[in-house]
Amino acid sequence: MTSSLKLSALLLAAVGALRAETTFFQARVAPIMERHCVVCHGLEKQKGKLRLDSFEAMQLGGDSGPSLKPGDAKGSELYRRIMLPADDEEVMPSDGKPLLAANEKKLIELWIAAGASKTAPLSDFAGAPPLVAGKAAPTVALAPDWRPRAAEIAKLESTLGVRLRPRSQVPTDGLVLRTASAPRRATDAALAQLAPVADLIVEAELARTPISDASLKVVATFANLRSLDLTRTKISSAGLAALQGLRHLETLNLTETEIDAAGVAAVKTMPSLQRLALFGSKAEPAAAAAPGAGGQP
Amino acid sequence: MNSEHQSPSDDHSLCSDHGGENPTVWDLPQVPLGLKQEWLQLETRRHFLGRGVRALGFAGLATLLGKQMPSALANSAPAGGVPSLPMPHYAPKAKRAIYLFMAGSPSQFETWDYKPALADMFDKDLPESVRGGQVLTGMTASQARFPIAPSIYKFARHGKAGHWISELFPYTAKIADELCVMKSLHTEAINHEPAILQITTGNMFPGRPSIGAWLSYGLGAMNEELPTFVVMTSKMPHRTNVQALSNRLWSSGFLSPEHAAVALRAGSDPVLHLNNPAGIGGDVRRAMIDGVNDLNRQLFERVGDPETNARIAQYEMAFRMQTSVPELADLSTEPQSTWDLYGPKAKEPGTFAYNCLMARRLAERGVRFTQVFLRSWDQHSRLPENIKLMAEDSDRASYALVTDLKRRGLLDDTVVIWGGEFGRTVYSQGTLTPTNYGRDHHPRCFSMWMAGGGVKPGVSFGETDDFSYNIVKDPVHIRDLHATLLHLFGLDHNKLSYKHLGLDQRLTGVLPAQVIHDILA
Repeated sequence: MTSSLKLSALLLAAVGALRAETTFFQARVAPIMERHCVVCHGLEKQKGKLRLDSFEAMQLGGDSGPSLKPGDAKGSELYRRIMLPADDEEVMPSDGKPLLAANEKKLIELWIAAGASKTAPLSDFAGAPPLVAGKAAPTVALAPDWRPRAAEIAKLESTLGVRLRPRSQVPTDGLVLRTASAPRRATDAALAQLAPVADLIVEAELARTPISDASLKVVATFANLRSLDLTRTKISSAGLAALQGLRHLETLNLTETEIDAAGVAAVKTMPSLQRLALFGSKAEPAAAAAPGAGGQP
Repeated sequence: MNSEHQSPSDDHSLCSDHGGENPTVWDLPQVPLGLKQEWLQLETRRHFLGRGVRALGFAGLATLLGKQMPSALANSAPAGGVPSLPMPHYAPKAKRAIYLFMAGSPSQFETWDYKPALADMFDKDLPESVRGGQVLTGMTASQARFPIAPSIYKFARHGKAGHWISELFPYTAKIADELCVMKSLHTEAINHEPAILQITTGNMFPGRPSIGAWLSYGLGAMNEELPTFVVMTSKMPHRTNVQALSNRLWSSGFLSPEHAAVALRAGSDPVLHLNNPAGIGGDVRRAMIDGVNDLNRQLFERVGDPETNARIAQYEMAFRMQTSVPELADLSTEPQSTWDLYGPKAKEPGTFAYNCLMARRLAERGVRFTQVFLRSWDQHSRLPENIKLMAEDSDRASYALVTDLKRRGLLDDTVVIWGGEFGRTVYSQGTLTPTNYGRDHHPRCFSMWMAGGGVKPGVSFGETDDFSYNIVKDPVHIRDLHATLLHLFGLDHNKLSYKHLGLDQRLTGVLPAQVIHDILA
């Protein structure tokens, strides 16, 4: 390595430090301690003379000795205690409190195995599970925050008779457009009025609605759409081409529609599409029909 | 004692908590006077408290109503003023569930938990070390011997998953790669009523909300024209040792009554008394309901009991169901491929196959939780003969349902669950012959399967010992199953709670429950 390269490496390291890159400890380990441990091992209580409410406190250990053995998860008291079965007297958290979830245990294991560092950046742990299981990546916003447009959403719901419901309590998980209560009210004319919330809609449940190809042009403006159900609607293969610009669309349900091979050709090249249901359509592949053929197993 | 189907010599095999079609305490000619008086007193107290609240003014009433709001929302009320709605804690994988409940408890030995080593141990005594100190039911505790009864049915591996599946389930074997087979469920309850209550409501005592009621409370309706939680019971292919089912299993417990299941009956009249009598038109019915609602609103003004509002909601739901249920139950639009898939029994209202088809139609229409009960799996005697009859009914319909959901693109967000309330013993209850045996209740391990809705397909989870007596790997308590199910719906079982009797009540109770992350897709 030439000296100039060494220099730039140093500089990069320095820049990294200045930028205060998110550390694995602060992003993953500290929240787990906060959630499960600090109530008994923190400022207010120090059971077993142990505190786990800061990196420095964790280095001190408690009555059972050091809690961490950097580089050796299995040899670390903290890891041993969280891995015990629920009925073990020594298991932590104790007194029947919820134990750590599998992903949380894994994060602690990875952290100790990599040296239980305070400064190791989050990016060093590429294969680590998410902090909150069930959310693929907590930082990924599927759509803009819906809350500033709450009044608009409520108005659209009451005038159009469709439902625009948050997908979860995470405000950037987007909305689901729901029509099951009154599918007949979800007409082309009604959908045409959804422009003010088009970018918020992540799922569109349009099965059994009277929509036609005109609505597919509206749906095409739902830029953050992941899932679209068009079961038993009167859309055509020609109309389907309008959806090609939906680059996030993962699930497309065309059950019992008039869609044929040409329609499928129009959508199957979409970059994100993972699931395509064609049962009862004119494009139903023979293989998909076979399991329904019944007969003797 | 179900005498028309049972020879007297079989009476020993009836469970101690057998209820069947027998009279219950509610069939007594008269409710004792003391009990009635106690009820009247309670009514008075409720009215008194209600007036007290009113006296405190509107703020007090608002506080009372505020308690109806799911606590799930309390910490994240939207800023924008959208009416507070229940919503999942995180984006869900499953939007709906269909729970195929095999009441009476199918044996794990003839279904999903293959134990080849038992073949060489026919009629040998179960080692004492295996049984440990486990309490047995009164039905076998006095047996002189505990002779091992291997399954008379053969097993083979199926699918890429390589699940071992009994020859009793040839159709289900075809969808092996969709199934997550769990062999390590366990419970504390050893008799049917407490066991079935525990698995449907999370607690052995009656009075708790069942799973579907919690989902209704935590997530709200997807289709406001239909109930969020629906229950169907199925005609039995044979009737031996039939366990009672009651609406304790699908009640809303301490939650508002609107979260309880609506039980659909078989045939052209799925909800009793829903149709207008001859000569009464829709407008007359509407006017009558408006009148009743008005009276109920006045009652609420006076008394302040939130259950009055629940009653108004029930009237409105019934009115909406007058339109939505006939459409739901009209199978004339089903294509021929449906009948090819579900088989001829699906045309007969009330069969398990018919109910599975109805469950698919409910799922399509946005009903969140459908529970289909199939009873008469309680084979204390003549197990080989009777489990075959039960499996024939269950097998094809379960397969058809999963296959139908999959081809319609619904399996990705619909979780299907198949299982009973506990397991059965490796040893024979009563006489053991090469072709005949029975099995007693066994709470220490039992098998279930799940498919779809964010469950990992084609995996097996948990292991039992060679006798399927004790769990040796990855035990799954019922509360873990419940926590996992809620998780699939985007709900944190620790957060989904309701204040009652001074506790934040939860489906999973107070003991620690674990989401089984290893079976999540």
